[in-house]
Amino acid sequence: MLVVKDVSKRYGDFTALQQINLEFNTGLYGLLAPNGAGKTTLIKMLATLIAPSEGEIYYNGKNIIDMDEQYRELLGFLPQQFGYYKNYSPKQYMLYLAALKGIGKKEALKKIDDLLEKVALGDVVNKKMKKFSGGMIQRVGIAQALLNDPKILILDEPTAGLDPKERARFRHLLTELARDRLVIISTHIVSDIESIANEIIMIKNKQLLYKDSVEDICSTLRGNVFETTIDFDLLEAFRKKYVLLSEKQEYGKMIVRFIHKGVPEAGWKPVAPQLEDVFLYEYRDEIEGEV
Amino acid sequence: MMSIILHECKKALTSPILIGLLVVFSAFNLFVIISSSDHKAELKIINEIIETYGLKITDDSLDEFNSNVQLDVAELNRMTASEFTSVYEFLDGLSFENQEKYSDEQWEFIHRLQLKEMYLNMAKSIDESYEGIDIRKLAAGEIEKYGLSGKAAETFLNENEKFFERFKEMVSNGEHKQWFFAGKAYYMHTFLFKTIFLQIIIESLLLIILTTALITTYEFENKTHLVAYSTKRGRKLMKNKLLSALAIAAVIVVFLFAITLGTFFTVFDYSHVWQTSISSAFNWEYNFPYIAWWDLSVGTFLIGVIALVFVVLLLFSGLTFALSVTVKNSYITFFLVAALFVLLWLLPSFMPKSANLLFVSAYTLPTLLLAVSSSFMGSSGLILFENFEWMTVSCWTVITIVVCYMSYKRFIKIDIS
Repeated sequence: MLVVKDVSKRYGDFTALQQINLEFNTGLYGLLAPNGAGKTTLIKMLATLIAPSEGEIYYNGKNIIDMDEQYRELLGFLPQQFGYYKNYSPKQYMLYLAALKGIGKKEALKKIDDLLEKVALGDVVNKKMKKFSGGMIQRVGIAQALLNDPKILILDEPTAGLDPKERARFRHLLTELARDRLVIISTHIVSDIESIANEIIMIKNKQLLYKDSVEDICSTLRGNVFETTIDFDLLEAFRKKYVLLSEKQEYGKMIVRFIHKGVPEAGWKPVAPQLEDVFLYEYRDEIEGEV
Repeated sequence: MMSIILHECKKALTSPILIGLLVVFSAFNLFVIISSSDHKAELKIINEIIETYGLKITDDSLDEFNSNVQLDVAELNRMTASEFTSVYEFLDGLSFENQEKYSDEQWEFIHRLQLKEMYLNMAKSIDESYEGIDIRKLAAGEIEKYGLSGKAAETFLNENEKFFERFKEMVSNGEHKQWFFAGKAYYMHTFLFKTIFLQIIIESLLLIILTTALITTYEFENKTHLVAYSTKRGRKLMKNKLLSALAIAAVIVVFLFAITLGTFFTVFDYSHVWQTSISSAFNWEYNFPYIAWWDLSVGTFLIGVIALVFVVLLLFSGLTFALSVTVKNSYITFFLVAALFVLLWLLPSFMPKSANLLFVSAYTLPTLLLAVSSSFMGSSGLILFENFEWMTVSCWTVITIVVCYMSYKRFIKIDIS
């Protein structure tokens, strides 16, 4: 369906992505990587906003740049920073975007009402967006991406600004949407996609690291994730020795979750690896760098 | 497509700054016209003269006019019990105390007679004044004034020779012998085509540059570019933005022209002078009369200048579009276009005075706009060329289309981040 073939992107001397090969079919794909890993670059290429320096992206065998309007007609896109006109209402703004998407006004008005209802903004359709919270704006962004009933839905960090209740509602909406279309979600929040993604794509050092199901990716750490209880005083030394995934204080002691590849010590409890564990393990340098 | 253009136009039409400026500019124009209208009643006399004696000044019509003025002078003599040969004689000898001897109606009569005599004397002196015009001598003076030499001087003299022919043709056609408002008394040509037109031009330019830059850069400045340019329409949206910018530019120009010229022609009665030649001897305000390359009436000249200004302002909208597609910031675009305008206007001053490049460098839109009162005239200094207007507009239309096309093609390919 959608194929990314040998794609690299360079900005002068800086390489953002190198030799990426991917294949997407119907279903939900989670693009998981820390900030700055190149997720947005890949997504912008899929949205034809930027062109690959090398390689090509095909949809049903045709280059998406050559397909031009034919490709973007099938596309719904929510960028990481969703811009909007502050003095417009969601309805006015979506009417403009509907015109850009080639949807007639009559049809658009009906769709806009339905979609705004779907993202729980039915009671503010005519309110100016400058009064909206971050979560409300994000929901307008999700609604506009669905305006043209896209075959390919690309959402870059869609849950930013959403509260837990809205996130849950959003996950439910995505599962429903991914039944008959391709949905790609880029995020650095594992819980957003862990339970709903058919496949997870991870990018590391500008290259593709994993493109697999959650189970298969987790299995790469099978037998290497442990939990144990240690004294608080020993925590610093433990941190230096092992890759710590999480730590929790309980009754004056520390319960730590960590990775160890080798023979486990007595008292360590082996646990089933989670996607979060793989994420923290693989990006340990970048994450520490970010902190 | 149409609905996208309307959406884009709405962005400009709902901008408070632009609407505010449009209102302020219109009010300012009305203020200038009304505050300069103290002589509007006097101007009406020319309509009466044309109605009575016809548009063209012939020997017969002038004799008739003269006879009627003499009758009025006789009436003045009866009124004053004196023997004046002219109303000016009466006015020169009038003492302050004697002014109150006459009623308002009598003063009205005296003022009208004064105006009639002024026009009559001017008409009588046309032949003498035009015999005194030596086009070649004037050209030599111009060459000295601008310091022209070599090829430049040669080109200037050649064009001037053509103008000399046109001058002779104009005189033999009698284009100059047609009634118009007295130039040296009222400066109506300068007031309309310099003061008022320049106001409209500068105001329109400001608004057009701002609206064009606003529409073109709107998505980037509101950070909606990633959404807008990834829709089906994609980067082709820029085409709609160009059309919208041109439509808004046209609306701005039409609005300012309509409100300003509408007021102007309501205040000043031009009803009888539309057919008068723009090269009329009365349209002589400074050292040299306005003499057009063609036999143009005041009405045709006005339409021509409006059309010229309209097209040039649309070209500025196009140039602003080309620049803002690249710059993506409306304020930087505004200052760049302003700088470009000044630079192009000053261009001839950087050129050698001995080469034809001097004239070529004056074929620019700013020069054309700022010298709009001398459009189509052979009496316009270094831009006297017969082909100046159409050549400048044609060349800059091509330049504008090329730069718009190039910047659009570039935009189609560049990354949007």
